[in-house]
Order: sequence, then C-alpha cells, then structure tokens
Amino acid sequence: MESLKKKLVGIVGARNVIDNRDVLDSYSKDESFATPMKPWFVVKPENAAQVKELVKSARETETPLVPVSSGAPHFKGDTVPSVPQSVIVDLSGMNKIISVNRQQRMAVIEPGVTYDQLQEALAKEGMTLAVSLRPRANKSVLTSVLEMEPRLNCIHQFNYTEPLRCSEVTFGDGNQIYTGEAGNGPKDLQTQWDLGKWQVMSNGPNMMDFLRMVMQAQGSMGIVTWVSLKCELLPSIHKMYLVPAKKSVDLEDFLYKVVRVRFSDKQFIMNKACLASLLADSKEDIAKLKSELPAWVSAVGISGDILLPEMKVSAQEQDIADFAQDCGLQFLSSLPGATGEEVLARSIGTCEGKHWKQTAKGAFQDIFFITTLDKTSVFINAMYELAIEAGYPTEDLGVYIQPQHMGTSVHLEFSLPYDPENTKEAKMVKALYTVASEKMSSLGGYYARPYDIWANIQLKKDAQSYKVLQDLKGIFDPSNIMNTGKLTLK
Amino acid sequence: MALAREVYQAFEDIVGNRNISEDIGVCETYRSIPSQTSAHYGPSKEWTPLPQAVILPGSTEEVQNIVKICNKYGIEFKAGSTFWATMAYIGGDNAVQLDMRRMKSIEIDAKNMAAVVEPFAIAGTIQAEAMKVGLNVQIPGVGCSSSTLASSSGWAGFGPASIFMGANPENLLGAEWVLPNGEILRTGSLGSGDGWFCGEGPGPSTRGILRGIFGPAGSMGVCTKIATRLHPWPGPKQFRTYGKAPAYKADFGDNFKCYTLCYPDWESWARSVQYFHESDVLYIGHRQFNMFGRNLKAFMLNIITDPEKQLSDLPELLKDPEIQKHNDNMKHDYQVVIAGMTKRDMEYKEKAIDYILEQTGGWKHEMMLEKEKHDYALAYMTRLGHKNLNYVMCGAYEGTFGLSGNVWKTIQVVEEASAQKRKWETEHTCIAATGGDSAMGGVSSLGGGGATGWEFFTNFDSYELESVQGTSDMVDENQAFHNKYAFGPDFCRWNSDVRHVNGYSYTQEEHDEMFAKAPQPWIYAYQYKIREAVNPNHLCGSYLRTLSPGKLEGK
Amino acid sequence: MALQDLRPMMERCSSCSGCKFIPFEKIQSVRFAENCPSIGYYNFHTYAARGRFQLSQSVLDGRTELTETVTEAIHSCTSCGLCDVTCKITRYNLEPLAHNLEQKAYAVEKGAVLPAQKTIMETLAKENSMIPGTKKKNRTDWAKDLNLKDLFKEKGEIAFFAGCKYSYDEKLQKTAQDAVRILQHAGVDLGYLGAADNCCTGRAKQMGYFKEFDKGANTNIKAFEKAGVKTIVTPCSDCYNSFKRQYAELGMEVEVLHVVEYIERLILEGKIKFSKSVPMTVTYHDPCHLGRQGEKFEAWEGIDKKIFNQIHIYEPRKPRYNGIDGVYDAPRNILKAIPGVNLVEMERIREYSWCCGAGGGCSQTLPEYSAWTAGERIAEANSTGADALVTACPWCKDNFTDAEDEDGNKMEVLDIIDLVHKAI
Repeated sequence: MESLKKKLVGIVGARNVIDNRDVLDSYSKDESFATPMKPWFVVKPENAAQVKELVKSARETETPLVPVSSGAPHFKGDTVPSVPQSVIVDLSGMNKIISVNRQQRMAVIEPGVTYDQLQEALAKEGMTLAVSLRPRANKSVLTSVLEMEPRLNCIHQFNYTEPLRCSEVTFGDGNQIYTGEAGNGPKDLQTQWDLGKWQVMSNGPNMMDFLRMVMQAQGSMGIVTWVSLKCELLPSIHKMYLVPAKKSVDLEDFLYKVVRVRFSDKQFIMNKACLASLLADSKEDIAKLKSELPAWVSAVGISGDILLPEMKVSAQEQDIADFAQDCGLQFLSSLPGATGEEVLARSIGTCEGKHWKQTAKGAFQDIFFITTLDKTSVFINAMYELAIEAGYPTEDLGVYIQPQHMGTSVHLEFSLPYDPENTKEAKMVKALYTVASEKMSSLGGYYARPYDIWANIQLKKDAQSYKVLQDLKGIFDPSNIMNTGKLTLK
Repeated sequence: MALAREVYQAFEDIVGNRNISEDIGVCETYRSIPSQTSAHYGPSKEWTPLPQAVILPGSTEEVQNIVKICNKYGIEFKAGSTFWATMAYIGGDNAVQLDMRRMKSIEIDAKNMAAVVEPFAIAGTIQAEAMKVGLNVQIPGVGCSSSTLASSSGWAGFGPASIFMGANPENLLGAEWVLPNGEILRTGSLGSGDGWFCGEGPGPSTRGILRGIFGPAGSMGVCTKIATRLHPWPGPKQFRTYGKAPAYKADFGDNFKCYTLCYPDWESWARSVQYFHESDVLYIGHRQFNMFGRNLKAFMLNIITDPEKQLSDLPELLKDPEIQKHNDNMKHDYQVVIAGMTKRDMEYKEKAIDYILEQTGGWKHEMMLEKEKHDYALAYMTRLGHKNLNYVMCGAYEGTFGLSGNVWKTIQVVEEASAQKRKWETEHTCIAATGGDSAMGGVSSLGGGGATGWEFFTNFDSYELESVQGTSDMVDENQAFHNKYAFGPDFCRWNSDVRHVNGYSYTQEEHDEMFAKAPQPWIYAYQYKIREAVNPNHLCGSYLRTLSPGKLEGK
Repeated sequence: MALQDLRPMMERCSSCSGCKFIPFEKIQSVRFAENCPSIGYYNFHTYAARGRFQLSQSVLDGRTELTETVTEAIHSCTSCGLCDVTCKITRYNLEPLAHNLEQKAYAVEKGAVLPAQKTIMETLAKENSMIPGTKKKNRTDWAKDLNLKDLFKEKGEIAFFAGCKYSYDEKLQKTAQDAVRILQHAGVDLGYLGAADNCCTGRAKQMGYFKEFDKGANTNIKAFEKAGVKTIVTPCSDCYNSFKRQYAELGMEVEVLHVVEYIERLILEGKIKFSKSVPMTVTYHDPCHLGRQGEKFEAWEGIDKKIFNQIHIYEPRKPRYNGIDGVYDAPRNILKAIPGVNLVEMERIREYSWCCGAGGGCSQTLPEYSAWTAGERIAEANSTGADALVTACPWCKDNFTDAEDEDGNKMEVLDIIDLVHKAI
C-alpha cells in the first residue's frame, strides 16, 4: 500500500493523494443500493499527462482505478468501487474550460467543469449547451454527456452522442489518443486550432469510433480528460407550454406530431409526482403540487435565437397548439400549480446540494431504460402494478419520458422516492427496484446505460454483445484495471 | 485457381445452385475498373482481381454459413450491393465475391421514424416507401442508387440533406452484422431482442467498431440489416413528377421551394452557410450544379432541364449572352430546398431566407426561379436520381481536393484550388475545361451543420488512357496543396492506403510502414487489435487500416 | 457496326446502377422499382447492362469464352430497351440497347446461340415465320374470310400486317380478325400482301441475327414498294418497331401505324363510335416495341468530337432515343373513350414500362425466365385492383395469359382490340 502511495505521490504530488479515512468513506458508497467498498486512495490529477501516468502505473501494479468527475452525491453505483484496493481518480479538480468558439459553436472542457460554469462562459458568447433534466450544480458536464444522460431537446440530437463530439482518452492500456475528428490531426489542441480544426466531428477518427468505447462505460475502458461539445445559440425568446392529460397514452400522438416535424426545443412528458418534485423545494410543496397538478403533463419548449425569433416562436406556438387541439388536448402556458416558465427554469437550471428527487423523501431509486414512445404505456402500467404489489405508494412514483435521437426512441425513467431512514421502506424499494428492473427488461426495456444490477440483466440477454464487449475490454483495458467489476456478468 | 470442389459444393449447399457461379463470364463482371467508378484511390484502368466464385446469399443465416466456410478454408470474401464503388470488390486471388442483391427488403416503423433495410435496398426505394407514410431518408451525395445499408455501415454516408437529416452514421440505429469470424453481432437494443430503435450500448457501443468517420468498406464482415432513422416528409405520398425524360420535374406542392442562393464573395457565402448551420431552416443544402464547373454550369442547366437538349447544344448555348449573364451571377452559389411542415412554418422559412440574403448581400438566382428549372432542381435535390449526371460530360469523373470540414477554412483556399485545377484545364488536355472551380458538396456533412464535405468534380474520359493517366497526375499534384493546408489525403486518394492501384490488397508490412507515421498511430494499432479479435483469418481485404501494435511497443 | 466499335461506350459506363432500376424519380415502391427482367430473374450483375458492357470487354480481350452460361446471359436480354431509357436519363451518350444487340450478334456470329434459337431461325429460313411448327402455306389462313385485298392483285394503299404471332396462333387470330373488321367497319380500305406476307424479321434482330433481319427486311421493303403500299397498319408491336424504326433505317419511307394509332385517329374523326358499355377496370401494359421503342427513326450522319478538352458531343447533334415519343397516349385515349372502362395505371408505365418477357425471343428460347418476367407484371397489374390487363401486342398478350405472380394469381388479359370490338 505504501509503495503504491509513493508511486501515486510521484505522479500527482502528495497533496493530491488522499487516504484520509473520512474521505475514503465518502467515496466508498453512494445513494444507491450498491454495496459499499472502501478505496485505498483518492487521487486528484491536475492534467491529462498525470492521468496517463496514473493509468500506466496502475497497469504495472494492477491497481483498479475508479474515475469520478462529479461531486457527491452519486446515485447509480458507478463510482463505488466494486473490488478492494481501488484508487479513486477524482477529476473534479480538472475544471478548465479549454476553449469556447462562437464561430464553430464548439467548446472544449475538462472533466470537472460543471453546468453552471460552462453555461455562464457560453452565455457570454451567446451560446448554451443542451442540458439533461435539472442537473446537480456539481455535476460534471463531461460525465453527463459521456454517460449519455438524455438531453431535453431530442430535435437537435442528430447523433445519438450529441452534444458530445471529440475527446481525449487514456485507455486502460495506458495509451492516450484523441477520438473523432481530433484523432486525425496532431495530438495537440492548439496546433489543431491553428490548422482550423475545432474537434467538430465525433465519428472516427478512422474506420472505427473510439468515443463509443468510453461512452456509457462508467469509466470501465479509460479516462476521458477533455471533450468537445457542440453548443446551441442562446435563445432570445424561450417559452414553455404545458399540455395536461389524464393518461400518458393520451399525450403520445401529440408528442409524436411535435417531434416528427421538428418543432419545439424541449419536449418531455412527466407524471404529477415527477413534475411536483421538479418544481417544489419541500416535501409539503410537493404534496400540495401533487394535489393540484394534472395526472400527466407534456412540456414543450419553444425558442428563437437570432433568426427572426418572434416569427419562429409565434409560428410554432400556433402550430403546436393546433396539434394539441387535433389530439383533443389543451396547449397552456400555465396549469394549476405550475407555469410553463417555472417548468422551463427548473428543467434547465441546476439544483444545489442534494438532488431534486431527494426532496420528496430524502432518497430515491431510479429505473431507466430506452424504448419507443408507443410502448411506454405498457411499461408504465406494469410499473404501477408492481408498485401496488410491493405496497409502494403509487402516488409517489415519478415517471419521466424523454424522447431522444430525434424521437426514434425515448428514455423512460421511473423514480421511487423513499425514506432512507425507514429501513422497511428502503428494503421494500430495493426489492421493488430489483423486481421492476427485471420486469422492464422482460417487457423489452433496453438498458443502454446498464448501471448496477442492470448490467447483469441486460448483458445476459445478449451473449454476443457481451462477448465482443469483453474482447474490447481486453484490448483497451488488458489488465482490467478500469473500474473493475463494472459491466460484467455476475 | 478454381475453388476446390468440396468448397464450391459447400457454398452451393448454402445458397442453391441458382445463386452461385464460377463461370468465367460471370466472375469477370465482378471486377472493378477504377477509372469507371469512384474508387477513391485514383483513376486507373487496372481491373480488380477475379473472384473464384460469385455467391448470392438470401438471408443473414446464409451469409453466416458462407462466412464460416470461408473461415474453414481460408478463403477471402467481400460483400457488395450495388457494385458501384470499387471498395465493394475483392482484393485478392483466393477470394469469393458476395453479391447482396437478393436481400433488399424494407420495413418501416412510421411512428418511430425508422426503416429496417437490407443491403440492396437502395436509397431511392427506401425513400419511395418512406414517402408513403410521410417520411424521408437521407440520401448520400452519390445518389439514390446507392445502398443505404452500405452508406450507413460501410462508408461515408453524407449528402445534400444531411444538414436536416444528419449523415447516415448519425442515422444508424440497430445493425445486424455477420462478423468476419462468422458470429452474428446485433448492435444496441437489437442484440437483446428489444427492437431496432437504438444502435448503441449496452454500455460502450459495439457500434463503435462497426464504423467510424468512414465505414470499413466491407473489410469487417457483412452487415445484413440495419435500421436507419427517417425524417419528416411534408410532401405527397408519391414522388410526384411531370415532364419528359430525362428532365423529370417535381410537382410537390407549395410547401416546397428550391432556390439557388448566390453571394457576391466567399466571405458572405460562408456567413450565409453559418446562418443555416445555426438554424433549422433548410431541408436540403448543397452546392450541386457547380459540378459542371464555374464556366459551364448555367449552360449545362439549360441542357439538363430541357428534354430536347443535349451536349451537342452546348457550343450554341455558349453564345447566348443572357445565359452567360446567368452564369456570371452564380459564381458563389449553392442550392437549397425548404420544406414547410405547415403553412406558418413555410412562411417563416421563406422569410428567414430573405433575411439571411439581406444580411449577407445574397440573392436568389433568377434563372433558377423559372418554373421548369425550379421544379427540375427540386426533383433533383430531393431524390438525387440524376446524380449520375456527374458522368455525362466525359464518361468519368473523380472528385479531387476535398476541402471538407470548417467552412471558414474552406473559403480561404477554394480559389487557390480552383486556380490549380484551371491550370490543368488550360495547360493539359486530360480533364474537361469547365472553369477551375467545380467545387461541390454539402452545405453541411453533419446533422445540424458544422462541417462541409466538398470535392472538385473533375471530368475525364475513362476510355482514353492519356486522360486517365493525366487525371491521376493532376491528383498527385493536388496532394501537395492538401498537405500544405492539412486537409489530409486528396478526396480522390482517400482509399490509396487501403488498396493498391492494381486492385490488390496491401500486406500488413505495407500498412505498418504507412500507419506508423500517422500523427496518432495507436488509432491504427487499436484497429489492428479489433480486427484480430473478430477477423483472425484476415479474410476481407485491406480496407481496414491497421498497424501492428508491436511497431509501437518496440517489439 | 461491330461489338468492338462500342468499346468506348463500354469503357465510359460508370457502374451507377441506372440500368437496374426504372428512372429513379419514378420509383414508387421497392416491389416495382426494378427495370431489367434479366437481372431480375438471374440476379447476377452480369445480366444488367453494366455487366453486359463488362462482359463484352472481357470477351473482346479474350479473358472470357462464350460458355453456356455466358451464352444464356447474352441472349437473356429481352431487348426491351428499358435500360437504354434509364441509362440515358443521365448518360446522354451511352446506348445499352444497341450494345446488347451487338453483343448478341457477336455471339451469333461465333455460334454461341441457344438451342431454341436454332429451331426458330430454321423456321424463319424455311417457312418465313418465327414460330416453329408453322408453315408458310398457312400464313394467311387467318384472313381468308375478311375481304382483305391482296395488294399485289388489287389496288390499295393500306396494308394490314398481322405478323407471325397473329397469323399462326389460333388463340389470337380472332383479335387480328376483329382488328380488320373494326377498321373495315370504319371505312378503311384495307389490303394485305397475300403470298408476299412474310415475317418482319424484327424478332430475329432482337435475337442477334442481324443478317437474317437484313435479308427479310429488304425483301419486305421491296414487297411493300411493289404493292404500292403507302401505309402499313399492324396490331403487333414487334412488327411495328421493325417497320417504324428498323426498316426506316434501311430506307423504307412508308407510313407505319399501329392499330391503336389508327383506331384513335378514327375515333377522333368520328368514324368509330362506341355503342356498348364495357364496365370494367383495366390497367394498360405498354409493349416495349410500341412504347419506348416505338419512336420514329431519324437519320443521322456525323462525327463525335470533343470540346473543352474532353466533353463529348456529336456534330451535328445526334437524335437521341430516350423513349418519350413512343406510342403511349393512343391506347390510353382509346380506353378512356370506351364507355364503362376505368383505366388505372401501374407503377411502371410508358417509357419505363416493365417488359412482358417475350422480347428478344425469350418467350420461345428461355420460357421459364420469360414466364417469371410476365408473372412480375401480373403482380403489378393485380396490385392496381384492375379486373384485366390490357395490352396491344400479341407476344405480350400470349406471355401474360398463362402467367402467374409469385402467389399463383393470374389475371384476365385482353388485347385492346378485344375491348374496342366489345364496345362497338
């Protein structure tokens, strides 16, 4: 252990190697049901060269590395070591915005950059980044995009990986490359910029796509030390409308219509439990809101930026209102308990401290997967049935449907808030989470981001993909040091 | 060298005797002549190697069984669908050619905007089927006779509509893929039987080894089915046309407009492109008709839009001062199509174009507003059924330069490139003298803008050896320009490091020599390692660029 | 012209697949998108025009022998000419049909022919008919009760030319007889060549027997001349193409009309009036040799040259046969004029109509393939919901009559003359 520490200190310096018990404890668990496991050290590299050295060294010593970029709390078990003697590589200190280019609408950032930090820098240039639903203030943008957290706007998700474009990655074998377009040029960003290359194209760099080796990988293939991001123009007009319904299925045709013609700049469906949690700051408010809000709401954002924004927004407002009417729905700027403006602000804003889903009961467990919009009601019905069977209060069950990849699929997310202090309830939720995760899979839910128990569920269904993934793991992480134990069958 | 009888029999047992041939005449027609197509390793009159047999599989299972036999007997194989591009053809003597023609099904999920297609489903047929349910498919610049599966899984796949519809790698959802070792990999949600809707994951994406910025061009087994994302089509359920062949014209209704937008200089041209990259206004955007060259495009447009006219009318047309004026007015141009999803949307898009023109000093080209020319261009741009006009002037074309990427960089060098090509037009006779600048390509090669995909159309005579050789020499000279501005290989030489000019594959030693010098050589070493994992017998030629890792590890 | 003379054309083909599909702008479905029966049935690339160009290069360079497979490939072209239309959509200077015919002629010259072709050509030589088993002495039996003038014996300017198929096929003879009666009823002074009525030999040319065609054509041209014929009327599309295009190239200047053109003219002149309703929905099949190959011949002499270094042009401009001026409207106008008839169109029509499969002699030489080709059309016709498939060529009608689609469905097949006759 001491020799390892010595090596780590040699790479990142003594102040960046932490073995304080409390700190190690804090990294040993998260808010999920993942089994706690204390790491040996936490190291905080300051640059990509140190990361590369860390990985090389870990390979030599066969030390498992667990990359972490966001600040706590974590919720998916991916940052909790699965094996003993791990070293946490905490990249939150690498938080430089390396470049912002208005002309190319590109930004390059390090792992520790947060949404607020980035949005502020982008706003100065008249830009913004498509966000996932109400990220935590200390959430790493890099992790968020690398782990494919769904964006609120599927319309501009031309590539599944949007807004992520290129990256710098140190694979588990210790080699460091640029992915995407950047991999074709000299391995130096400044030189590439001088040549007019702004890390725009994500595919590649050659006949394979190495970004896809690290995305959704929970750090099990390598460590990413910068990513380039495609940015959007900052809206000069930004509105959100709300379409209430009694059942989620009533909103499907409406949402299909909106997404198909590529109107709107944000589009999602929530049930009232989810929406109330998103909007409220206290348990009481959540309860109040739940009593006021309609059972289901489709939220539709509309924005305009520099190109005749008033005309664009006005046209889309009227057209989308027509779509709603065609579907027998109302297209409203506010509902009892919520205005479109509030929903918009909450959706794209960050939440400080705890996760917004913790407000209701202190803890929550998510189950999310990918399916298509027309199948969501099957999963929702099944989830409600399972909740009833388990004795879980269905009025607390949050549902969030986020179209992605231009509407060809949706991210369907169930949230099960619970009181972590209530052992019985926690146990019940854990059991429900396990049963429901299996059930969703058996109904065709696809765990593209297979955290925790989902890895086992998903990979067991697909022996050939698992085999190829293991082959790839063997190539990129031959010593099995990268977040060891993740994405493997048990 | 004929296949051993037991091998031939094994193949025949899989596909039936009607679907395999080793007849010399049949096999001879499965050789490519790079001067007669887009080989991307330069024009040459050398034929690719003769296959030992041609096999027509009818299902994924048949493909898998064929590949297993190939592995058992160490026989190389390569699959082709349309047999247009040279990359579809084998690169060695002990090889069989798979012709995927029998697999052409198209299934559309209208609600979720996706089509599941087999290799010989060309973009034109997919589009026709998609339009019936109000959807459209992204057609690569090469035209609608190309296989959508091939452009999605095997090669570049961007086109005029990419700004709105994305490039085909972006559109790729699930894929069913017979690996070179004979195993079947189904990517994304397909692998677990959950559907075609997602091509990524679980976890890291095996789709990442299916293709990169380019696909492996058949060098990594056979993709037998893919799902591709479809896009809204607010037009008629049929591709409605009027007019006589060959100048068919679109009759889509008032919510479609096709404009040739022109600008006083490249700087304003680029500013307008940036506007379009930053908005959702365009349905299609492409610098298309400049393929006929800066000096000839308006004249050629008068020929191709009129069913009665032909190339022989060109000399007479060139005397027309009115057309000359039109030609002069379209120096810095591109074509766009806007599609109104609703009446209001159309009004907005029309106004947005006017606004952009106002901001940039641009104009809508007058001649291209004439109804017949407008309707012709709209049909052309929407289906890309006339893309083979590439070849009309001389019989062959190659793309050279290839100023792809950052539009602001492109415009700084386009005139220098034009001058260099013009020099070859005036000092030599190998290529058609069309006016230097024949740069054409997408307003964006990426969904939502961000990068152009340009090439200079260079027309030559594939029948005449001097013309073929001269064109090749010109491309060699152009490479120096590419090196100077860090554009990578000339468009015409993109494949020069994956196949010899004589059509044969490179050896590993030759590839090692090349890719050890790459700025980031590990990329090629990883490609080597991945090939070793799924193609241990190296059965699909040398299109996959690989570098022996030992060269980097000091072994 | 010899195959070698087309070498530049072969080497200027760019492998674009234009020869495998109907004009791309006309594609409405994956099911009916393809244009070439030959590659449709055999599937190998060899069988499309591109493959044929390449095959010729290989044969001429001595790499390929005329094997049995190659021979069948060469002769499986139905000479329908659709690849010629679609190629010219973007390749103004390529002529796949001319090539395919030259390729056949080359094969014939080298003795690479199909067994059935030999029998047919023996019949032609001996009995002046394309239909084995028929006798010259019976050729005009079909017309014996029709009061047709023998133009060698009686004065007349309009010759009715039934062609081999109508003359000999007992199932079809009534249609030819009705055609004559319809015209006669409308007051047309109709004659025929009597003993000089022989095969037009167009089908021989379609099979690559150019010399035999030339011989037959020149004999017939002289016969028309000698009989004082000013107008030839034929109900056969193959014969129509022979006279209109091929004979014209040999110098014949006689007006050539297909029966549908004449009937349309007579309807417009008020000489044919329909008195009966024929309540049925029909779809119309454009015969290849009446439609896209029914364009009139235009003589050209000139050179090809290059301008701007490498752009190919013809001087003077050369007529381009791209199929658009074939006979398409006349049959449709007739159908629309018949009370009760509702015309619905298939996806592949006019210049991009799918071949019936009989062309190029294939219904006789490669019957299984030919039947498949016809079955494809039956499927397309059935997809329109029509009650019957109407055509204007005996070879097409015969080939469709027993054809089945892939599900075993058949369809009623009518000659347009049958419908006209019903309505009068």
